[in-house]
Amino acid sequence: MTAPILELRQATKKYAGVPAIENIDFALERAEIHALVGENGAGKSTLTKVMAGVVALSSGKMLVEGREVEPRTPLEARHLGIAMVFQENSLVPTMTVAQNLFLGQEKFYNRLRGIYIAAQQFLQSLNFDVAPTTTVSLLGAAKKQMVEIARAVLHNAKVIIFDEPTASLTPEEKKYFFDLVLELKRRGVSIIFISHALEEALQISDRITVLRDGKHVVTDATRSFDRARIVQAMVGRDLSQTLYGRRKQSTRPPGQRVLSVQNLRMAALVKNTSLSIFAGQITGVFGLVGAGRTETFKVVAGVMKRDFFHGGEVLLHGQRVRYLVPAPAVRDGIAYVTEDRKVEGFFETMSIARNIYMGLLAKLGRKRPLLSQREAEAVGETWVKRLNVRAIGKEVKVVELSGGNQQKVVIAKSLVQEPELVIFDEPTRGVDVGAIAEIHQLINRLADEGKAVVVISSYLPEIMALSDRVLVARQGKVVEEFSALEATEEKIMYAAIH
Amino acid sequence: MKRPRLTQQNIVFAIFVALFAVFSIFLRGFLSADNMLTLLQNVAVLGILGLGMAVVVIGRGIDISLIASLAVPPGLVLEMVQSGHSLPAALGAALALTLAFGLINGWLVAYAEVPSLFTTLASGLFLAGLGQVAFFQLDVVQWSPALDRLAWLGQGGLAGIPTPVLMFALASAAVALFLRTTRLGGFIYAIGDNPYGARVTGIPTRPVIVLQYVLAALIGAFAGMVMAASVNSMPTRIFNSTLIYDVILVVVLGGIGLSGGRGGVVNVVIGTLLIGTMLNGMTILDVSYSGQNLVKGLVLLVAILTDSFVNPRNEETAQQGDI
Repeated sequence: MTAPILELRQATKKYAGVPAIENIDFALERAEIHALVGENGAGKSTLTKVMAGVVALSSGKMLVEGREVEPRTPLEARHLGIAMVFQENSLVPTMTVAQNLFLGQEKFYNRLRGIYIAAQQFLQSLNFDVAPTTTVSLLGAAKKQMVEIARAVLHNAKVIIFDEPTASLTPEEKKYFFDLVLELKRRGVSIIFISHALEEALQISDRITVLRDGKHVVTDATRSFDRARIVQAMVGRDLSQTLYGRRKQSTRPPGQRVLSVQNLRMAALVKNTSLSIFAGQITGVFGLVGAGRTETFKVVAGVMKRDFFHGGEVLLHGQRVRYLVPAPAVRDGIAYVTEDRKVEGFFETMSIARNIYMGLLAKLGRKRPLLSQREAEAVGETWVKRLNVRAIGKEVKVVELSGGNQQKVVIAKSLVQEPELVIFDEPTRGVDVGAIAEIHQLINRLADEGKAVVVISSYLPEIMALSDRVLVARQGKVVEEFSALEATEEKIMYAAIH
Repeated sequence: MKRPRLTQQNIVFAIFVALFAVFSIFLRGFLSADNMLTLLQNVAVLGILGLGMAVVVIGRGIDISLIASLAVPPGLVLEMVQSGHSLPAALGAALALTLAFGLINGWLVAYAEVPSLFTTLASGLFLAGLGQVAFFQLDVVQWSPALDRLAWLGQGGLAGIPTPVLMFALASAAVALFLRTTRLGGFIYAIGDNPYGARVTGIPTRPVIVLQYVLAALIGAFAGMVMAASVNSMPTRIFNSTLIYDVILVVVLGGIGLSGGRGGVVNVVIGTLLIGTMLNGMTILDVSYSGQNLVKGLVLLVAILTDSFVNPRNEETAQQGDI
């Protein structure tokens, strides 16, 4: 038997000491279609980025046709015959198809007619129905993808990696895409594709690899899998082994209905979704990438920029509201704790106390025309103590804190506003182990105090550990609701996967 | 930790002291009381403009139209009084013009989301052109005797200190007070530090941005009145000079990072002192106008380069088109 075309041995990649993938063995055979599945954050993207030379391994080996290699840039990977087609496509929209195909390979004297003819012949040989003179921005999603694939083939790719290739395609386009993939396979190209759509993986792939929490779970021929076995492999954690402890024994009863969203629609991200949030309990919102969870709650809190609002109603305490910016939502008692604290979270040049004080000032508005250093320090001290923020000194800037402590500051900045409805978006992303437990305690305490709490998370154990009630979103819509007592990881994952 | 902090502010201050010492020793006449007064007087208007620029730059913007605010509304006051209008009417018209200009700038940046550099580049050109076409008979508008009630803005002095310097001190105190002790001042820092974060926190970012440009326009017009009163005229062609580069130089050199959220009035004062000393020294040395521009350009480049090292931009929050 010949060596696999691409192989990883004991591959580990750490980001700031935290492993994104750990000791993964993976082999790709020639002319094989290999599906990679797993939850958000299971390590699929990192694994493929390693292969495509986007990131380098921390330890372990990568072999191409039995030869050890170390691609450090996507270009080096391309020379090894590995190409990646990204989710956001990497074509230059203002150039024509042919120009895109030959981008970076232009001759010094670049005759357009010459590349049009070459592109025409090449596209025909692939049986691709795209005119080489069309400007890329005028193409639909599927055709753009076709151009990307053509470019990969043109570069003599032996391995093509697709990250969520069908996410933006219509059903007919999907069918066309699958035909393309099979055609590539006939030409001897090996394909890796990441997908959340299990049916697709089952339908088209030869083998399936399941990853979970950065570790390899199972690789097997597709015919030996069915939906249930994949889901089982994706979520089959031993809960006592996770950081999140036991699941709930009892749930908090729902209090007053604080928020009600009815038939909310927004661009392609939120499709006619309806939900209710109650006081005094934690509502966990689970969904895979593209499920529209964050977008729905960003519309509620007025955080969503640019108005793609297409219809529907948001009722806060029974009153119709429509926030275009976050300021009035904050004043009405809605706090949104961002999933991206660096971009939307803290103020990096300010001290901890000043950060938290900004939250208070935003809430108080006209009632505080002048700043008070004493008030800032008092507020800072109270919340640093309450949330157990650990910093070397009072004047330390937030940017110098650890991820967990930064997150606590961002949370404090919202809680100082005494909100009635708190929306946590991925509250423990990039947070160290100790701080996760503390943040979870804090979230529980908020619900005990009678606040309406929403936790958006892509991590099932977190949803299971916190929620009194679980909402599952899929493709822009809340599709299922469970009480924490009846919910299991399998049930939730089943509902989330399309 | 005992070692002195190597902040840009301290470095620039050290350069100022060194430059001042060198000029004092080697340049005849530099240290004379007369020259010191000239130096201060010359840079006072620049310093006031620097305060206006600082308010905007701290909020992560830039106001290139500041010189138009300096020239046109005060020019309008002079022109209207000259042609027989009453002083209150002239002041009222100029104030309305300044406010409208600041509001339009602010609206374009905050609501229409045009990058501040382009907004103020265009609006400044527009206002300067408007002045030339609609308001002014001559390029230099003369100070008429009917305005002498306002002469205290630029003439005379107190205890030997020339009035423009006092005005700079007054404006510095007012701006410092605003930035350090008011809620809105705090919000400007927050917006400059992290505009998205400020928005999510519930800070009314867009009105505060509008406020920045209104303040800048008002401060610019104030600088113009001080200037007109001290030289007894308003040379409206000043918009075409290189003054705006000096203003940016003062702000960046003083250590107010162009990435926003950093620095304050102290930085403007230090920057003004250094630039003032440099310009004065070059004048005594009889360096030509072009030669001075060469030096200023070089120093500005070095200052901006240093700024991007000392205050690296957060790639995630930097957006296309902002400065």
